[in-house]
Amino acid sequence: MDSSALQSPEMQRFLSQEKEKAMVNEMVTKLTNVCWDKCITGTPGSKFSSSESACLSNCAQRYLDMSMIIMKRFQSQ
Amino acid sequence: MDAFGSSGGGSSGSSQFSSDDLMNQLKVQINQVYAQELLETVSSKCFQKCITKPGSSLSGGESSCISRCVDRYIEATGIIGRALFSAPR
Repeated sequence: MDSSALQSPEMQRFLSQEKEKAMVNEMVTKLTNVCWDKCITGTPGSKFSSSESACLSNCAQRYLDMSMIIMKRFQSQ
Repeated sequence: MDAFGSSGGGSSGSSQFSSDDLMNQLKVQINQVYAQELLETVSSKCFQKCITKPGSSLSGGESSCISRCVDRYIEATGIIGRALFSAPR
């Protein structure tokens, strides 16, 4: 392959877009994994109860809050 | 699969496929990885939830639990995504 294809601006743009998508995807995947275990305690029904879906979104947002706190804690040491 | 360039087979010297082909090929492979990862996670989560005591075959109840579990897991992915990226915080 001609390596200039890899250097082209459109390829660079494509790669940085995909990198960003991969980060978003990784985060959503990871939090879904964690929050599923926390929030979905019974057998899955045909619909989420309102408390289950509220728990899922709270869980994701609190995880972010927590990450911030931990990051600050580490920085101040 | 024709992904790596029988289309460029005759040309010698210059690049065998354009960066468009390369990008499309990468997209396909990246999406395969995402799908594979989802499949593995959903399998392990739903096995945990639905097959609590493995019998000699899957019961009807287990099968329907699995299909509900898969749907809910995908729905949960959506809820989490929205909570992270579009809900007011």
